Amino acid sequence: MRERFLTGYNDFVLPFVCGMLFVIIYCLAGMIRIIMQLPVQDRKKFFLSLITPKTLIKDIKDIFLKCLIHVDLWKRNKLLGYMHSSIAFGWFMLIVVGHIEVILYTSNLGAKALYYPIFFRYFVAETESTMRGSLIFFLMDFFLLVVLSGIVLAIIKRVRSRLFGMRRTTNPSFLDLVGLYSLWSIFPLRLLAESFTADISGGSFLTKSLNYVFTEFLSNHANMLPAWWAYSCALGIFFFVLPFTRYMHIPTEILLIPLRNAGIRIVNARKGLAKAQVYACPSCGVCIDACPMGVQKGNIKDTTVYLNRQIKRNNETRIEEISDKCLLCGKCTAVCPVGVEGDKLRIAQRSIRKYSYSPDYSNIDVAAEINACNNFVSGDNNNVSSIENKKVLYFAGCMTALTPAIRKTTVSILSKAGISYSMMDKDGGICCGRPIFMAGRFDQAKQLVEKNTEIIMNSGADILLLTCPICYKIFREKYTLPGIEIIHHTEFIERLISSGRIKISKDTTRYVFHDPCELGRGCGVYEQPRKVLASAGNLVEAAKNRQESICCGGSLGSLTLGFDKRRAMTENALANLVSDDPDRIVTACPLCLDTFARYSDRPVEDISQVIDRVSVPADKKRNDN
Amino acid sequence: MKENIVIIGGGIAGLEAAAQLLDLGYKPIIIEKNDHLGGHVADWNKLFPDMTPANDVVSSLVARAADANIFLNTEISFVNRLNDSYNIMLSNGISIITRIILLATGFSLFDASRKEEYGYGVYDQVITNKDLEHWFNTGDDPRIGDCAMNAVGFVHCVGSRDEKARNSQCSKVCCITAVKQAIELKQMFPESMVYCFYMDLRMFGKKFEDFYISAQRDYGIRFIRGRVSEVSENIDGRVIVKAEDTLSGKPVKVTLDLLVLMAGMVCSPDSTKVANMTSLPLDSDGFLKSRDNIADIIDSPREGIFYAGACTGPKTVPETLAEARAASLKIHLYIKGLEK
Repeated sequence: MRERFLTGYNDFVLPFVCGMLFVIIYCLAGMIRIIMQLPVQDRKKFFLSLITPKTLIKDIKDIFLKCLIHVDLWKRNKLLGYMHSSIAFGWFMLIVVGHIEVILYTSNLGAKALYYPIFFRYFVAETESTMRGSLIFFLMDFFLLVVLSGIVLAIIKRVRSRLFGMRRTTNPSFLDLVGLYSLWSIFPLRLLAESFTADISGGSFLTKSLNYVFTEFLSNHANMLPAWWAYSCALGIFFFVLPFTRYMHIPTEILLIPLRNAGIRIVNARKGLAKAQVYACPSCGVCIDACPMGVQKGNIKDTTVYLNRQIKRNNETRIEEISDKCLLCGKCTAVCPVGVEGDKLRIAQRSIRKYSYSPDYSNIDVAAEINACNNFVSGDNNNVSSIENKKVLYFAGCMTALTPAIRKTTVSILSKAGISYSMMDKDGGICCGRPIFMAGRFDQAKQLVEKNTEIIMNSGADILLLTCPICYKIFREKYTLPGIEIIHHTEFIERLISSGRIKISKDTTRYVFHDPCELGRGCGVYEQPRKVLASAGNLVEAAKNRQESICCGGSLGSLTLGFDKRRAMTENALANLVSDDPDRIVTACPLCLDTFARYSDRPVEDISQVIDRVSVPADKKRNDN
Repeated sequence: MKENIVIIGGGIAGLEAAAQLLDLGYKPIIIEKNDHLGGHVADWNKLFPDMTPANDVVSSLVARAADANIFLNTEISFVNRLNDSYNIMLSNGISIITRIILLATGFSLFDASRKEEYGYGVYDQVITNKDLEHWFNTGDDPRIGDCAMNAVGFVHCVGSRDEKARNSQCSKVCCITAVKQAIELKQMFPESMVYCFYMDLRMFGKKFEDFYISAQRDYGIRFIRGRVSEVSENIDGRVIVKAEDTLSGKPVKVTLDLLVLMAGMVCSPDSTKVANMTSLPLDSDGFLKSRDNIADIIDSPREGIFYAGACTGPKTVPETLAEARAASLKIHLYIKGLEK
């Protein structure tokens, strides 16, 4: 390769160079700002994670797999995955190979390093010795073709998103459209520009062939410069608008991944990690189809992608509306390809609201509660009491108080299994704190947590049993109860069955299990309830289950959704559950039970009701086995 | 007078209409799915506000309607709409061609177990208003009378005026029924404490208010304004009721030997079934839709189909009877119009 121009410079590089410098400076400043906004301990944690080899390797692996290959999207839909990874990975490889090419064939780079890797083909001419570079020429053309195929798919997706497994997509803002069109035009323009110079600077199957085919037009070197100008301008425009469009997700995600791997949580509603998440949102709209509120068209603008957009715009009225309406089912978080935590982000927005009145729970006297719950009774199955007998404290919670069948059947199961148990809130207890935590009132929630902690620690129990996943989640996450195991009744019943403390008679009833949001996505309990039900009958699955289970619509999470608005959501969730025509719908949350029972065409039960019906105390013989 | 008139439902509305039509010289056909006539009233013991025995009302109606063609244990299999008439196929294989149908399909009692927080079907000592009347009639219910009956509670508006139970309408008769039943229990167990948990007391009818005053003054029944929040069971099987007394602004908790749920009225599934067969619309409250809710409450939007009684919404016994009479007159005039 030899240089064609002595100066190695042409004015057309200016739009690109300015744009690139602008975007780099902008991103660096933004990154420093986000890191400075982190609380001191979090910042320390972050820096530590960067020098710990284990997390560092994970960071690099995650960035490669998520930002370039888009593995999550591949899992969702192959075409969607290919479209994203072809553009991201193809472009990345063009940049990498472009740099290799420049390093191989030029010396004395200097300031030219800013633009040479991008516009190399304009400035050089092919010589005899360059034949060695044919592999590189081929790679450049190959990856350009890969990117172009992605762009074609992207254009198709705008018209027919259903081919890509998406029913609805985001409505782009004006600047998003500018970014979109400039991004789409970059690569065809590059192809055009490089085709012009393919007979001078060399090329491969794509550029060279194009040069031959359109020889009349492309060999006319007077047309050459406008093509290179257009290419540079497209790049420049894209870089200048990038910080104000959804494409900001590209640099932000590279920061978000190490932040997440460092174990940092959202503290401030708008700063630090929250800000990184908001800007990491690619507006792909996967959360729109996931949102259970989406059954009503009016709620589409209240999904996480639009929350992120409104936070970027500081539109306080809409932020409040969107944050308060959400059911906090966490499905958008589960499906988000970049890991925006839609539910936690909303709770954080709720937490900065100013209230004129704040209840104070610090004066509640817990002496009576401690007395009441320190009252263990043994179950009536003496055969098994010889087995290790831990004391179980059963906290039913307020939702279970409204569905007394759950409490009654759970106590009956405990009794059959010969467990020594005590009721923590038989006579009314203190709220677990989760509802008020969801409302963003952390101080009040903390007071309740402290009160309950005092009661539980003084009860003398070994195990805290919960039948409500809403309670279960906060007990697992916000309570510190040394020496006490916190367990949900689905897990506990599974343990009772597998250890042979109760005996199940299996029949042919077809059960479907509804994963409650707080138990499944909230606490990751998916297997135990299924094991329990499979031992009682035939387990069938809902169309969407586990991580993608659909919220029943009764969630305490929403502060503003009216009763009439939730009906469509419940009916949609029920339709999903009965896709395999089960005889009975089983859930493990009193709120889901109450909500589904209202509209279901077939019986809805809690898992404890099922097991109490089909179980008998294990006899001694069985235990000796 | 060969005109066939089909009355669907042999409750008090159907019987009264049949009796009136017989007097007018017609020979109506009554179709009743149960093995006896009288509907819900036949299950009741005494009627407010004069403690009239329900049996007297029903038996006199049955006697007056005895000459009608009565099909017991019979349901409607399907209804075909012909040119100017209907072909009704009955479950006993008989088919009837008629130009006039009177729907007197009545109501269903709200399924109290759907308000699970009140514990019906979960706790033994929780019963419904209907269970209590059954006990008044037969004395056959181990849950009542065998226990101490020191304290009894009534919960008003169970499945009425309750959006979460999918019924926003007022069932109209439960307030006064609760007062009546409370007085009756107090008469049987003078030493017991009787509580009524209500959100509003709607004493709209003749002598209702006097009845209510008497319940307080003469029988010492306690009326607590506030919805029951939850019901639980203690170790000896008694039920613990928690509620808020919204007049004093304090939470209350009482332990009761018996809790009676005043289950409200909902549109009966049989009404909905027949409405589907004859393509009649439902109103927003879930009951059958009248042509006009003020002027034409007994007219359906379809030619030749009329309503009487609680199929168009909750009604008291006298209201139902009055509607049945009005419907028979309407049918008479309609037939006169057809003959011209």
